[in-house]
This record gives sequence, structure tokens and C-alpha cells, in this order.
Amino acid sequence: MSETPKSTRTDKLLRGACYASLLALVLIVVSLFWPKPLAVIVAMSLGQALGTASLAMFLFVVAAEFRRSRILDQAAPVSLKPKNEEKPQ
Amino acid sequence: MDSHYLLSLCALSAAILAAALLIGYLIKRPPLDRHTRLRLFFGLGPLPIAAALLGNYANLEETKQRRFCGSCHVMTPYIMDAESKESGSLAAIHTRTEWFGHESCYTCHADYGMFGTVSTKLGGMRHVWDYYANDWSSGTRKPKLYKPYSNKTCTQCHPQGTNRMSLAHKVHEEMLKGGAVSCAANGCHGPPHPVYGVADNEKKVSAAVEVLP
Repeated sequence: MSETPKSTRTDKLLRGACYASLLALVLIVVSLFWPKPLAVIVAMSLGQALGTASLAMFLFVVAAEFRRSRILDQAAPVSLKPKNEEKPQ
Repeated sequence: MDSHYLLSLCALSAAILAAALLIGYLIKRPPLDRHTRLRLFFGLGPLPIAAALLGNYANLEETKQRRFCGSCHVMTPYIMDAESKESGSLAAIHTRTEWFGHESCYTCHADYGMFGTVSTKLGGMRHVWDYYANDWSSGTRKPKLYKPYSNKTCTQCHPQGTNRMSLAHKVHEEMLKGGAVSCAANGCHGPPHPVYGVADNEKKVSAAVEVLP
């Protein structure tokens, strides 16, 4: 399952998750250095929402990849499966 | 080291680590193998969560500070009075007490009870919304409480019902318990903050805003 994620849906989701998480981290850090009412409220609302969304996107990608690999395993012909999976005689 | 700074430092460290992992992924774009997934998991899961939790806690502690309350300029006259060594107002007297210290606004205005902190923060949100959503530019408008000041806040530290209670307190005991009379009412122990006239307040707000850094 080691593939280079380029221009696929997985890649887009992962990059989106990274950017969302980075933005959330910036909001949190800004509120720490500049603790004014608006900054604190934005960090604790928008920041949390972005962080949660990014984690959800990552978990979705991992779950989708896991599901895809299981489907591929089931669909693969017996001859292509590794020999060590065969029952010992 | 102050606990607020320690919390902020830990939150900042977690945020930097998470950002390094995420930026590393965005630059290198490695194959999505087990190691990459593990790095992304830490960059999107535990580290940002730690940064958010520690940052939230640090921010909640910061919101208790008097300087935070004073960061909205309409509060400046109140903060100046509370910090004044010459003032004899209730706010100033309590601020000079070590137990109140830098958290004197929060200590007196926090709701009492199990969910006091939550209800106080929700009330504070309403104040912030009011501050940004309404026009305060004339300087004539004064901040106000959205509900009557609870006597329970006073009686946390000044217990009643003792034999040495003054006559005035004995007479008003039931009304004080029911909230019909406020400890901080004019003629009792109040007003807690200096009451400015409209024109006077405008001058004081303008003067206070000018001295802000």
C-alpha cells in the first residue's frame, strides 16, 4: 500500500487536512501571544473546528485506504497471493 | 515559572512539532506508507490536540486576568479605578487584597457554584459580542451586568448568620438571601465602582484611551 499520492482524492484530502491543521495551529499560537478577546474566541471556536475537521479528514483517508486494500486482497486471484498464506501440509 | 507561561510554552512546543511534521509532508510528499501515516497521525492528532488543550487552558487562565478585562477600552476607567492606590471603591479595596490580586475582576464577577466558570464565560461571550456588535464610539455608554449581582459572591468570603452580625445585616437578612437587596447597593456597601456622570465618563474614557499603549 505504499503509493505516491499525486493528484488523487486521497492526496487532496491529506493536503487539505494539513493546511486546515496548520491554520488551526496558527490561530492557537496567535491567541497565546496576543491574548485578546477576539483572538481567544477565534482560536477556541474556529481553531478547534479546523483541527477537528483535519483529524476527521485524515481518519477518513486512512479508513478508505484500509477498506480499499481489503477489497483488493479479496479480489486478487489465488495464484497472486503469497505462498506463505497457503495451509501447511 | 508562572503556570500560564509554562502552559503556553508546552502548547507552543506541541504546535511547532505538529507544524514541522505537516510542513515536512507538504514539502516532501512522500508515499503514503506506514511511516508517513504515523507521522501524519501525530501531526494531525495527538500533537494538535495537546496544543489545543494546553492552549485553551492557558487562554482560560489568561481570561481571568485583570489586564484581559481591560483590553476592551470601555473597561479602562474601571481598571484604572481598581488599580488606583488612592481609590476607596469596593473594587479598589478588593484589588489591593492579595487573594484577589491580578484576578480581582474575575473573583468578584465569577458565578458561584459547580458550573460557575462555564456560566461566567458564556456571560463574558455575550459582553464580547455586545462590544463588537454595538456602537460604543460615543464613550457615553457604560458596560453593564446582564443580571443582578449575586450576594453569594460576597458571602463566599464574608459569611453571614453569625451572632456578631450587625443590626443592619440582621434586619435585611432575608432580603439579602433572596437577592431583594444587594450588598453592593448604594447606601449599603456600594457602589462597587465609581459612578460617573455621562459627560464625566466621556472625558474619562477619552483620557484613558489616550494613555493606552
